[in-house]
Amino acid sequence: DSHTQYERVGADVTMKCGSMDWDAAVTWTVNGTDIDESHLNGSYLILKNVNLSQSGQYACYEGSSWHLKYQTSLRVGMPPKEPVLMCRSNNYPKGFYCSWHLPTPTYIPNIFNISVIHGTKDMVCEKDATPKNRCHIRYLQLFSTVKYKVTLTVTNPLGKNFTTLTFDEFAIVKPDPPESVVAKPVPNNPRRLEVSWQNPSSWPDPESFPLKFFLRYRPLILDQWQHVELSDGTSHTITDAYAGKEYIIQVAAKDNDIGTWSDWSVAVHATPWTEEPKHLTTEAQITETTSASTSSFMAPPTTKICDKGAVVGSGAVAVCWTAGLVVAAYSVLFI
Amino acid sequence: MAAADSPSAALRRDLCSRGIRLAGKMRADVVDLLDAYVEQQGLDASASVAAVEGVPLAAVERWDEQTGTQRLLENLAAYRAFRALLAQMLEEQREQLGEADAGLGRALAAVLLQVSAFAYHLEELLRLESRGVPGEEEDGPPPPPRLSLFEQKLRGLGVLRELAQWAVRSVRDLRQLAKPSPATGTAPGLAESP
Repeated sequence: DSHTQYERVGADVTMKCGSMDWDAAVTWTVNGTDIDESHLNGSYLILKNVNLSQSGQYACYEGSSWHLKYQTSLRVGMPPKEPVLMCRSNNYPKGFYCSWHLPTPTYIPNIFNISVIHGTKDMVCEKDATPKNRCHIRYLQLFSTVKYKVTLTVTNPLGKNFTTLTFDEFAIVKPDPPESVVAKPVPNNPRRLEVSWQNPSSWPDPESFPLKFFLRYRPLILDQWQHVELSDGTSHTITDAYAGKEYIIQVAAKDNDIGTWSDWSVAVHATPWTEEPKHLTTEAQITETTSASTSSFMAPPTTKICDKGAVVGSGAVAVCWTAGLVVAAYSVLFI
Repeated sequence: MAAADSPSAALRRDLCSRGIRLAGKMRADVVDLLDAYVEQQGLDASASVAAVEGVPLAAVERWDEQTGTQRLLENLAAYRAFRALLAQMLEEQREQLGEADAGLGRALAAVLLQVSAFAYHLEELLRLESRGVPGEEEDGPPPPPRLSLFEQKLRGLGVLRELAQWAVRSVRDLRQLAKPSPATGTAPGLAESP
């Protein structure tokens, strides 16, 4: 009959061939492949300092008859390290969830057991189907000053470990990031960007439990963020954008009264409106028909030669004017 | 939408908004007071304090199912109790420490004032709903037995923690109250008797 044997990485393993005597002639196989006699001590199989790759199906056969005398599945692994546990309420005031994982794999099956105590009361944390390392709890009471104590125990055939979290109802409240963040330029406004977003769909009652928001934005070319905190509304107009520069924008949310800020939303990019200089259209047409040798005079159509918004001064105007001259010259050539 | 704009509905919304601001400010001050109290009294901020007799607990089951009247009555009872508890703490403070903790005494007095103001505000809301405002007991509960200095400090911690919790709950309660009911335009739960 066959069974499973769990051993620690680095352990020395001795396998006996069932009830066979020590001096019996046997052959050992691993996953169907014969094992060299050098690993044998009599009929015992000796595996020193086992590693993960030595996991497998081991079988022992009587020498001449090739009768199967013993088989076992060897699983090499490790006892669990202290698990990492996190609890959070992203759907306040409905409840909270806890999720966990092991910092390093054990390579063998683990069983997780979670207990939640509120004062003297035991609460049931219902396991989610997916992901499997998560469970959720419904709040039975709100506004309690009594702390919650969550203990997670992990057990496998080689050992056991646990971790405990203690927290207040308010402390773990952290919404999901805002959704559907959209940033648009404002026509005829070279320094504005209109940003709008929605409450995270996981937040059950934004009317009774309103969220406040934090917006951050910066041009791609700079490292420094600008910040705006908004106590209501799900939109904001940035009015100090650098003209013509592409911006990266993110929003975070927090319950108005308790808990912590959400993670930043997915970043959106937007560039404020710029006036299209009229001669750029002509330039595009010329670039198509111009041969390669003249390309040093002509910038590719996507480059803004006339960055009027960024620099107000004779320099920018001169560049525009020069480009205009060049374009005019080529227009004449090709007419 | 004519019902939503009725004068009493507008007044209730106004009272609720002001109440929310009062409660928000009160909470911020209570949190600051808690920090100062813990430090000055030499307490451990994370100490668990068993439920103290006479301190109204903010914890509530089925909070979302409460009627508007229930909310107002429970809030009023709580803040009346806090008014008495804070007055007692102030008294003990003055007895014990004289000049050393004048700042703490002032902060306590300021919070006591806000608690009284909020209790009055709640009475206004109840009157608006033509609800009788429950009278306060003339004699109040019997004076509690004299506690040791340490027990007084721990009880003070319990009182302030529970008050901070109540301040958050009151904001939530008033937001619920301020919501117009879709059919009648009046707040849910206030039109019917409890």
